[in-house]
Amino acid sequence: MKAVGSSANVAQTQNSPTSLFPADAFYSPGRSYDEMFAADGAVRDHYAALQARMTTLSPTELADRQRTLEHSFLLQGITFTVYGAEATTERIIPTDLFPRIIPAAEWAKIEAGLTQRVKALNLFLTDIYGEQKILADGVAPRELILGAPSYRREMRGLFVPHNTYVNVSGADLIRDEAGEFAVLEDNLRVPSGVSYMLANREAAKRTFPGTYRTANVRPVERYPDLLLATLKSLVADWRPNPQVVVMTPGVYNSAYYEHAYLARLMGTPLVEGRDLLVHDNMVYMRTTVGLRRVDVIYRRVDDDFIDPLTFRRDSGLGSAGLFNAYRAGNVVIANAPGTGVADDKAVYAYTPEIIRYYLSEEPILPIIETFLCREPKQLSHVLANLDKFVVKAVGASGGYGMLVGPHATAAERAEFADRIKADPENYIAQPTIQLSTAPCLVDGRIEPRHIDLRPFVLAGQRVVVTPGALTRVALKRGSLVVNSSQGGGSKDTWVLAEGNVAP
Amino acid sequence: MMLARVADSLYWIGRYVERAEHISRLSDVMLTATLDQNDAAVVVAQVALASIGGDEDEIEGVGYDAVHSLVFERDNQGSVGTSLARARENARQVRDQITTEMWERLNMLYLRVTDPRAEDAFNSHSSAFLNEIIADLHLFKGAADATMSHGEGWRFLLLGVYLERAQLIARLLEVCFGDRAAAKPLNDYRTQMSVLRMACALEPYLRIYTAEIQPQRMLEFLLFDEDFPRSIRFSTERIEEHLTSLARRDQYYEGAEPDRLAARLSARLKFADMDDEAQGAGPLLAAVVSECSRIHHAIYETFVAYPLEERLPA
Repeated sequence: MKAVGSSANVAQTQNSPTSLFPADAFYSPGRSYDEMFAADGAVRDHYAALQARMTTLSPTELADRQRTLEHSFLLQGITFTVYGAEATTERIIPTDLFPRIIPAAEWAKIEAGLTQRVKALNLFLTDIYGEQKILADGVAPRELILGAPSYRREMRGLFVPHNTYVNVSGADLIRDEAGEFAVLEDNLRVPSGVSYMLANREAAKRTFPGTYRTANVRPVERYPDLLLATLKSLVADWRPNPQVVVMTPGVYNSAYYEHAYLARLMGTPLVEGRDLLVHDNMVYMRTTVGLRRVDVIYRRVDDDFIDPLTFRRDSGLGSAGLFNAYRAGNVVIANAPGTGVADDKAVYAYTPEIIRYYLSEEPILPIIETFLCREPKQLSHVLANLDKFVVKAVGASGGYGMLVGPHATAAERAEFADRIKADPENYIAQPTIQLSTAPCLVDGRIEPRHIDLRPFVLAGQRVVVTPGALTRVALKRGSLVVNSSQGGGSKDTWVLAEGNVAP
Repeated sequence: MMLARVADSLYWIGRYVERAEHISRLSDVMLTATLDQNDAAVVVAQVALASIGGDEDEIEGVGYDAVHSLVFERDNQGSVGTSLARARENARQVRDQITTEMWERLNMLYLRVTDPRAEDAFNSHSSAFLNEIIADLHLFKGAADATMSHGEGWRFLLLGVYLERAQLIARLLEVCFGDRAAAKPLNDYRTQMSVLRMACALEPYLRIYTAEIQPQRMLEFLLFDEDFPRSIRFSTERIEEHLTSLARRDQYYEGAEPDRLAARLSARLKFADMDDEAQGAGPLLAAVVSECSRIHHAIYETFVAYPLEERLPA
C-alpha cells in the first residue's frame, strides 16, 4: 500500500516529501529509518491498517482526540510536578496518540536478545560480587569494575535469591539507520516508565478501538501480576505468605505516580522509609494494629539512600538497619543493591564480551560502538572527532551531563573537551545514531519525530519480557534526546502477535 | 491492617473534605443573606465567621470580600482552597489505597478550584460555583461509599468526616446558643433559617417541626436528633461505631481509650435531657468540642503514633 495523498495515490520517494493528509502537512523522515514508511515512501505492511485509519481523520478530529487523551491523563493524575517560586504546577508527560507498531518477527529477536542480556548480566553480577573469575581471566579490567562508583563492596559474598541481582530492568533500545535494533543502555537500577506503558495502552485502546481490535496486539496488562509473582519467587520457602511492599522516596519524587500505580495494581502497601523499622535484623512496617513483618521490598529508592547506616548517612528516605536485615537474609530487596555497576556506561562497552564469557553465545542484540576516554588512544580519537560523537558522563543519567557533538556549537565542544581532558575516566563517547522516526501529532500536523524503545524485563526464577514497551519521543524537531526530564514524550507500543501479517 | 501513615492520611482526607464542604455552605448562606440589606445579614455573617474562628469584630462590610477570602485565600488555613489542596495532597499520598473513582472526583475538583479561571467563575456566579463544590464533595463521599471497601481505611476516612462535622456543628451551636451567645438572640426568622441552612438542616427540620422555627427546637434538633446526619448525636454515634469496629482488629489494643471516650460522649448525647441542662447548652457544647479533640488524640496514640517499645516483638 502506498502513502495516500490528497487526491490520488502517489508513490513518493524520500526526496519529495510524502503527503499524508489532505491538509498541508508534509511528512519527511529524512535519512533516519522510519517506522511507518519504507525508504521508497510505501507504508510498511504492519502499519497499513493504522495509516488507513489516520487518513480518514481530519486535523480537527485528531486534535480533539489528542485533547481527550491529555485530559484523561490529567484527570488520573499521571503527572509530574513542576515546582516554582509562587505555585506548584502539574504537567502531564506529553503523550502522542499514534501507536508505534512492532511486528512479531522483530519482537522475537528483541525478546531473545534481552533475555540473553539479563541472564548474562545477572551471572556477571554474581561473579563480581563472588569469585571474580571474569576479572581473574582478564576479560573485564579489574580497576574499571571494582573502581566503579556503583560497585558496592558491601555486597561481596552475600546470598542473593536465584542469583538474580536484577529483577526489574528496562533497557533502552534504538533503531539505527539500517533499521537494526541495538541496546543503548541496560537500566538495571530502578528503571521507570512502566506505568506510562500501561496508561498509554489504556488510552490507545480508546483512541483507535477498531484498529486495535483487528491488529491482534499482545497484551501488557499482566505486568503488575507478573511483577508480584517475580517478587514473591524471591522469598525463602519457609515464608509461605510473604508480605511484599513497594518502597517509594515519597510523593515529591517525579515517578511517584508510578510507585502508587504499581502498589495499587499489585495490592501491596506503598511504604516510605519512615514507615519501616528494623529490629533484630527483621524489617517491620508500622500499621494501625502494630508492627508487621516485611519480606520483600520492591524499592524505587536508589542504593545510596536505602539505609543511612550503610550508605549515605544524610539520607532521610531509607530505613536505618535495612541493609543488615538484608545481609542476614531476613528481607529481600529488589533490585539488589549494587546492580548499577553492570549498567555503568563504561562497563557497557564490555557487555558483548560478558555475554560470550558466561553464556558462550554470540550477542543477539548489538550494542552501540563505545569509546572509553580512560584509554589514551580512544581519548585522542574522541577529541579529534568531537563533532561526530555523543559524549556521556559515566555516572550521569536522564540526559544530563552529555554532549551531542553534531548539534553543539564549536564553543560548547571546546568547553566539553576541557571537561573530558580534566577527568577522562568519567566519559565515554558513542557515534551519533540517527534514532528511527515515527509519525507524531505536533501542533496539529503529523511530523516525524525520533523515538526509542524501552521494554521491561522481569527476572526471578525465570526471565519474562513484557510484550510491549514504552516508546519515548523526542518532541523537538530533529532532537535525539528522548528523556522526559528533557522535554520528551511517549506513545503506546503495539507488539503484534505471531502469524499476524497485515491486519 | 494498614500502614499507620495511610490511616492518618485517610483520616485527614475525611476532615478536610468535611471542612471544605462546611465552609462552602457557610459562604453560600452568607452571600445569600447579604442580598437583603438588613440587620439579619450582619448577624448571619457574624454567626458564620465566629463559628469558624474568624474575628467577628472586623466584619463591618461583610459579604463579598470575606467570602472570597474564605473560598480562595491560600494563606487562610481554613479556606476551601486550602482544605481541598490538603485533602488532595493526602489523597495523592495514599493514591494506592483509595479507588480511582474517588481520586478522579477529588482531583478534578481540586484542579477546578485552583484553576486561574476559578475566580472569574466565582465572581460571575458565586452561588452556583459554591454549590458545585458542595455537589462534587457529595459525589466524592458517594464514590467512597459506593466503590471503596467498607473496611478499615473507609472507617478512618469517615472518622475524619464525623469528628470534623461534630466539632463544626458544635462550634456553630456554641455561637448561637452557648455562653457567649446572649448578645445575639436568634429571634429573627431569616437568621434562624440561615443558621439551619448552614447546618444543611432546613428541610429536615421543617419536616419535623414545620415552619414554626423556635431556637430551642433548633438546638435540640441539631444536638439530639437520631436520624439527621448532621446532628451531633448522629455524628458521635458514627464515631463510636467506627472506633468500636477498628478496636476489634487490634491485638495490642488494651487501653480501649478512643472507643471508651467515643462511647461516653455518644451516650451523653443519647440520654441527655434538655430540662437537666438548666444552665443552658453551653457546657454540653463545650464538652462536645473538647471530647472530640480528646478522641482525636486518642486515635493518634492508639493507631498512628503509638510508642514503638510496646509493640516490638519480644
